[in-house]
Amino acid sequence: MSRTKRAVVVALLTASTVALVGCSTGGSSASGDADAASCEPSTGQVDLTFTSWIPGIEDVVDVWNEANPDIQVAVQTGPNGNGGTYQNFFNQLKAGNAPDLGQIEYDALPNFRVQNGLTNLAACDGVLDAQNDFVDWTWGQVNFGEDDAVYAIPQDSGPMAMFYRSDLFAANNIAVPTTWAEYAVAAEQVRATGSYITNFSQSDINQFAGLVWQAGGTWFENDGTDWTVDLTSDASVTVADYWQDLIDRDLVSTNPPWTTEWDNAYNTGAAWTWTSAAWGANSIASGAPDTAGKWSVAPSPQWQAGDDASGNWGGSSTAVFTGSEHPFEAAQFALWLNTSEESLTMLNESANLYPAATDGLTLPVLQEGVEFYGGQAIYDVFADASSTVSPDFVWGPTMTQTYNDVSDGFKAAVTGQGTLLEALTSGQTSTIDALKAQSIPVKE
Amino acid sequence: MSATVDLAPTVPRADAPPRPTKPRGRARVQHPLAIVIFVVPFGILFSLFYLVPIGYAIYQSLLVIEREGTFGEAREVFGGLTQYVLVFQNGPFWESIARVLTFGAVQVPIMLGLALLFALLLDSPLLRGKRFFRLAFFVPYAVPGVIAAIMWGFLYSPSLSPFSAVTSNINFLSADLVLWAIANVVTWVFVGYNMLIIYSSLLAIPAELYEAARLDGAGQLRIAWAIKIPLILPAITLTAIFSIIGTLQLLAEPQVFRSFSSAVTSTFTPNLTVYSTSSIPNFNLAAAFSVVLALATFILSFAFLKFTQRKDEK
Repeated sequence: MSRTKRAVVVALLTASTVALVGCSTGGSSASGDADAASCEPSTGQVDLTFTSWIPGIEDVVDVWNEANPDIQVAVQTGPNGNGGTYQNFFNQLKAGNAPDLGQIEYDALPNFRVQNGLTNLAACDGVLDAQNDFVDWTWGQVNFGEDDAVYAIPQDSGPMAMFYRSDLFAANNIAVPTTWAEYAVAAEQVRATGSYITNFSQSDINQFAGLVWQAGGTWFENDGTDWTVDLTSDASVTVADYWQDLIDRDLVSTNPPWTTEWDNAYNTGAAWTWTSAAWGANSIASGAPDTAGKWSVAPSPQWQAGDDASGNWGGSSTAVFTGSEHPFEAAQFALWLNTSEESLTMLNESANLYPAATDGLTLPVLQEGVEFYGGQAIYDVFADASSTVSPDFVWGPTMTQTYNDVSDGFKAAVTGQGTLLEALTSGQTSTIDALKAQSIPVKE
Repeated sequence: MSATVDLAPTVPRADAPPRPTKPRGRARVQHPLAIVIFVVPFGILFSLFYLVPIGYAIYQSLLVIEREGTFGEAREVFGGLTQYVLVFQNGPFWESIARVLTFGAVQVPIMLGLALLFALLLDSPLLRGKRFFRLAFFVPYAVPGVIAAIMWGFLYSPSLSPFSAVTSNINFLSADLVLWAIANVVTWVFVGYNMLIIYSSLLAIPAELYEAARLDGAGQLRIAWAIKIPLILPAITLTAIFSIIGTLQLLAEPQVFRSFSSAVTSTFTPNLTVYSTSSIPNFNLAAAFSVVLALATFILSFAFLKFTQRKDEK
């Protein structure tokens, strides 16, 4: 080997060693379950970063920044959680450069906790006391039923109700369904006019979970030593068979959701109802602008006439990620964001968020009629729904994977290969496998 | 036929100057420092963005997660080839490999055939407006792959397409057709790119060869078949290898089509499987998938190269 060659080799080796060292120091992150004991205020100016996908969140953060020159929050927006932001969070956590705060839906919180991604805020000033400020079941989602644990501050909830085209139902003399049986009958009548009563979403598995939730089912249990996965309980089977029947009889359309095609179906009156959450009010208004004034909101159809049960779809919390150097300030911001009247009003006006804070439920803005819905005071319906949401629904620790796998099966089902129930059955198996692959204890 | 086969290899050889024999035991290198200066920037970038990531992926793929309790803290411990066993047991991953191989077997020959045809047309004296066509064929490549996929997604869409008379009757986004709908997008984007590689290699053929062929009475078709194609075979091989690699690594187009079509699952192509595995997040298994995929790509490309080289030597 000549001298030059050796020099080159040495140079290359040095370069790559430097690179490797750089990587490993950047990658080492602090321990996951942060000590609840340490949450001291920082001294001096604090800069926080916050990632969220709520429309109009920048304006809300601006208000905070005006009032708190010492705690400045820089907000970054992205696609909705399952649409890419969660993946970014996971990657950032792995790389040790996650933002201080992030928006996380309740169904994804266990997933982040099991990846050591969340800071326990219980020791932060005012956080434990805030429990009484929030609707019970939302607090249950952020403390996982443990004392001395608060892994996020609840932001909004997604009690479900039925959005429907009141004008079309009236014009065609079709009764607005109050039970799922009536809904199926109405589906036939709507189909006779050439339209569909709704679009069955093949990839909103959290919506389907909301329907199972309403039917009294739950998908996961955590007894402290083991997880139980139960995607195919009686309630799940009932809901799956019901929608499978509507799909088989071509009474619901099956466009991929959140696409222009889907918006178009609602905008042109090709789909008449949508069982969705409070925040869905915003999705319809922005996706189907031509139908302003023609929509109304009614309680979700019930499985038994006279029942009063609701499911929940979505709803977010504000979490502080592992590795944040300023959990105290981050917690203060999260509390303000999700309890102050000013912030909650703005969030409702820009994104139709339905607050998780109990005080928020009496906000003037929630009592008013909403123009897009013909002036109906739609939040009254969601308030009733919210009070009937069962607090017992538990989310699993690998929901991204569960959603992906069930969605793959639902996609097959709507294209005529397999059924919704088969999708749930294979999702059950793959979820158990995914848990095992991460050494998460699970009962078979 | 035999005359034409002889023609191609003999002519360039006759032209080539006699090769100087390499002196054994090289002379001293003149500017050692200069060489180092030239190599180091490349070396650093190559290590940073190539060797280190590959090494890190291999390292990650050898780890498994351990924890105690339902929310116990995860520890990464050495797990040998555990993740690779999972890869080989993973049905959907191998189905996706089979899917892209089917895709490649059909799409790559069509695309390269078209690219070759267009390149020959551009190179033939018969065509007018060469500059325009050269640009026109190449323009789709300037459209980013994601944008192209979105655009075609709308064109295929049953109710939004400007050709809804066609798309409402034939569902290009159905389980049977979506793979070929994606093949069409990929072909549309990459024909121009491959055409340009082949075309530039056509331009390098010395004009005397054509003159000689014409004197021998060969027409344009004959020239194309007997002179041009044999001489640009290396360029075609190159484009074929690029295409094989590209096919195995399909990601952007199917990812975009996931939102248009019910038939594109989260494990539709190998790279989508990697992507959705890393979003669980199960980085270790995703890394193992990537390593296996890289090896498969390497083996396929290398096998293709060997295969074509052997044919050349005959």
